[in-house]
Amino acid sequence: MSAVASVKDPAREDPTSHPVQISCQHLWKFFGHNGHSLLGTPEANLPQAELQERTGCIAAIRDVSFEVHRGEVFVVMGLSGSGKSTLIRSLTRLIEVDSGNIELCGEDVRHLDPAGLRDLRRHRVSMVFQQFGLFPHRRVVDNVAYGLEVQGVKRAERYQRVEELLKVVGLSGFSRSYPDELSGGMQQRVGLARALAVDPDVLLFDEAFSALDPLIRREMQDEVIRLQERLHKTVVFVSHDLDEALKLGDRIAIMREGSFVQVGTPEEVVGAPVDDYVAAFTRDVPRAKVLTARWAMRPFGTRSDRSSGFGDRVVAASTRLQDVLNMVLQSDEPVGVVDDEGEIIGELDRTTATAVIAGSPLEGDAPGPRAQAGKTHGEGTRP
Amino acid sequence: MTVAIGNETTLEEAEQLGVDRPASPRGTGGPSVRQTLAKPWVGLVVLAAGAVVSAILTGVKGGFPAGWVPGSISAFSSLGTWITAHQSSAPFFTDVLAPIGTGLNAMVSGVSTFLGWLTWPGLILLGAFSGLAAGRWKTAIFLVVAIAAFGLLGLWADSMSTLSLMTVAVGISVVIGVPLGIVAAFSRHFEQLLRPVLDLMQMLPAYAYLVPIVILFSIGNPGGVVATVIYATPPIIRLTLLGIRTVPDDVIEAGKSFGSNRWQLLRKVQLPMALRMILLGVNQVIMMALSVVVIASLIGTGGLGDPVLQALNIVNVGDAFTAGTVIVLMAMVLDRVVSAFGERADPAHRTSKGMPVRRRRELIAAGFALVVVTALVAKLGFSATNFPTAWSFSVAGPLNTGLGWLQHHLYHYASVPIVGGTSNLSAFVTLEILNPLTRIAGDMPWWLAVFGTAALGYIIGGWRRALLVGICVTGIGLLGVWNDSAATLAQVLVALVMCIIVGLPLGVAAYWWDPVEKALRPVLDVLQTMPAFVYLIPVVLFFSVGNMAGVTASFVYALAPAVRLTNLGLRRVPRDMVEAGTSFGSTRLQLLRKVELPAARPAIVLAINQTILLVLAEVIVAGLVGAGGLGYDVVVGLERDEFGLGLAAGLAIVVLGVVLDRLTQGREQRRPARAA
Ligand SMILES: Nc1ncnc2c1ncn2[C@@H]1O[C@H](COP(=O)(O)OP(=O)(O)OP(=O)(O)O)[C@@H](O)[C@H]1O
Ligand SMILES: [Mg+2]
Repeated sequence: MSAVASVKDPAREDPTSHPVQISCQHLWKFFGHNGHSLLGTPEANLPQAELQERTGCIAAIRDVSFEVHRGEVFVVMGLSGSGKSTLIRSLTRLIEVDSGNIELCGEDVRHLDPAGLRDLRRHRVSMVFQQFGLFPHRRVVDNVAYGLEVQGVKRAERYQRVEELLKVVGLSGFSRSYPDELSGGMQQRVGLARALAVDPDVLLFDEAFSALDPLIRREMQDEVIRLQERLHKTVVFVSHDLDEALKLGDRIAIMREGSFVQVGTPEEVVGAPVDDYVAAFTRDVPRAKVLTARWAMRPFGTRSDRSSGFGDRVVAASTRLQDVLNMVLQSDEPVGVVDDEGEIIGELDRTTATAVIAGSPLEGDAPGPRAQAGKTHGEGTRP
Repeated sequence: MTVAIGNETTLEEAEQLGVDRPASPRGTGGPSVRQTLAKPWVGLVVLAAGAVVSAILTGVKGGFPAGWVPGSISAFSSLGTWITAHQSSAPFFTDVLAPIGTGLNAMVSGVSTFLGWLTWPGLILLGAFSGLAAGRWKTAIFLVVAIAAFGLLGLWADSMSTLSLMTVAVGISVVIGVPLGIVAAFSRHFEQLLRPVLDLMQMLPAYAYLVPIVILFSIGNPGGVVATVIYATPPIIRLTLLGIRTVPDDVIEAGKSFGSNRWQLLRKVQLPMALRMILLGVNQVIMMALSVVVIASLIGTGGLGDPVLQALNIVNVGDAFTAGTVIVLMAMVLDRVVSAFGERADPAHRTSKGMPVRRRRELIAAGFALVVVTALVAKLGFSATNFPTAWSFSVAGPLNTGLGWLQHHLYHYASVPIVGGTSNLSAFVTLEILNPLTRIAGDMPWWLAVFGTAALGYIIGGWRRALLVGICVTGIGLLGVWNDSAATLAQVLVALVMCIIVGLPLGVAAYWWDPVEKALRPVLDVLQTMPAFVYLIPVVLFFSVGNMAGVTASFVYALAPAVRLTNLGLRRVPRDMVEAGTSFGSTRLQLLRKVELPAARPAIVLAINQTILLVLAEVIVAGLVGAGGLGYDVVVGLERDEFGLGLAAGLAIVVLGVVLDRLTQGREQRRPARAA
């Protein structure tokens, strides 16, 4: 976690204005004998260890609600066993939740009949798996074509589409290989191509890159970013790697013992952790690389507050703190922060900037969330 | 045979079995009646009290009270007579069994006709070609030599008749077994229903059901096919089940996530991935089927079993050996063909390189065309259906001469200095060990036997097992074969002890020293692929007919799995565990005693379990060479039409097998239910 290679570009187009594509309300899932009978009982909220001690059951998902917009990358993070895989699988009912509502691409997933569910899985949603989940007895081409094959697409058409996709993920020429003849990174490219082959609206990644070594992992993350710029899929990405989450996520949900403890933009999670658990998660992140000038500035309440006098000492609101630090530290005087239209919306001085980067909140005049006050979610950090 | 290739798979199961799950933690409070009953000492006290009460009520006399035996044997006899009398009138026989029999007969003669049509040059060429199609030169050469040997050894006609029977039986086993395995893989309920049936089928020596089969189908091919199918089907069901179940969850999940329906998942993912296991199952079916050839001959199927039986009867080891060799060769031929194709289905051996599919198909088609042409030419041009007798030669004569010399120098009293000959050894073991043991077991008061074994069952598996074992032992008494069972039991125990004394240390040695393992492997391979009757051939030479021959054959027959499973179990002990032990400075022996053996316990328990069942099977088969007890009863029953005795002994074999199995198996497995 020492070095954040890159962070989602905050200036990118904001998908949160798009329509909601995935909506989950109050999901619950218990594992264990008769687990569903715990629904609504006081035990359901016990700490995991105690719950298991008392009932032998595990609450893998507890009262989880969230929405993901079209084109958004929603990352779910958490320690091992926090329920991430269970959650992502419950979206297409690979695991059935005990209660709650799931809406995917306008379908009420929990009430779909088997044919409807198959249809959803065949056309709308694809998944990429941690251990790749490739079919070892099929050649690469038939792995990638699998989704089309179960849809009933003719062979010639399948193969043509597959060849295109293999080119996209950089695997042309390997179509006749078997998965075990490929390296891990290449295998996961097959997994990715297989998921993309059916041109789904929603892509689900369950720790898709965790099994790869760091270099390849970074390569695959870049691949996803590159593809996402072209394809604008709705993505739910499970990870336990904060770097990955910050790099890919428009929003990040931090999960613990089955619940979401915080949902927010990378900045919110890093800059304003809601509790010690999240703080511990993000402790080692170089904050200057994640947080922006907007996050650290003291906002002006009204236009008239102070709108000039910075000269050329102004920075764009979306600039990362590490890139404004030089200018801020040059003098005791604050620098101005401007939005996309060039309006000055706040100021940032040396003390605040260093305090924000150090992560020690200032008395009374705390930065960060303060700057978000009064704004609706989603507009929080982005113009 | 039962465990020939099953070792690895059953060990998996044993590993699952090793996980003792604590009872549900729900519900606390004072001890209930159940919990009190669950205390170990309570059960033993109850059982002891039962024994004492029974002893007081029936007296402390030895053996099973004769007055209690409800005339089972004569009752069975009259049942047999009744069935024979009604065979041509009762609808069940005329409308169900008779058509089945006719159908089976037709299939066997159909295959037989086909083989005749193929002619011997055609069959040899077909063998060569199968080897080549699988991409293996060596296999092809072996197949040619082995098939030619059928004829060269003068047994072509018998071979063809056995091959026809085998083909039909194996085909039926596969056609029945694969679907059953698939259904069981998907339905836990069905699996639970099936599992005990399979356990029983696999545990039973084919002897146990020969008599009922003869009663139902009378003598001939249909009965032979049925007996073979019963005996040989379980492994393919199990391996299909296992193959489908062991498809990794993530692959299944991936399949589901793309919206495959059940059928698509099965056809496109599960079956192809299970194919290797299924072919392994076919392999086992073939091996097991060939191991009952000789036994099938007891009920009149003819074929290669006949010369073996005849030769054993007159202790003509040379002839028995020749026919046995052909049977083993045939097993190897079929085995090589199937495993060559199995290898192609193995992900480890499959690459994107190699011959393009199209070209391969063309070559295969061309090859088969060649076979057809050869057959036609041979048939029409040379009328070469049967292998020319002029070309065959007998190895029996020289073999007998050589063996006679060996026997002369080992068998008789004066032939070996100090210890005497093998006849002495035979006499000693029979008189000093087997007979006293038989007497002890036979004369044991029934209540001591019943409650004693029940107590053992209780210690191992709780009340249910105690009850089962107790009932079974009582059942043996009621069947009226108490003393014959005692004789069988004595032979089983002696052979088992020999297996353990020799097998476990060999297993450890193979684990410690790789060269030992390497040296043992081919030997064990051969031992495990030999059908049960083969072991009878050499032993009669040294121990003549009788109990000692049976015990020795059983010992050799069952040795391989004892060694294998011990070795395998030890090798499966997690490396880090062994390293942890080593890092504390344990000596090799300490490591073995304190870490490795305890960790390998499930495997070793399994080894003993498998060994005892194999020993039982062979002791029964040894009835063929006059080893007394239940097996001999069956032979007598078949040869002299004493159906009652044969049936009672067959049932007793089942029951004794259940008892021995249950007393050597670990705790009941309770598997956690799998979630969605
Ligand atoms: N099939 C199952 N049966 C019983 N318990 C389960 C099952 N699947 C998951 N669990 C339990 O539910 C909890 C959540 O598991 P889950 O796999 O969702 O965690 P995760 O966050 O994905 O962890 P990881 O990072 O290790 O993949 C864990 O405590 C796990 O042991
Ligand atoms: Mg997971």
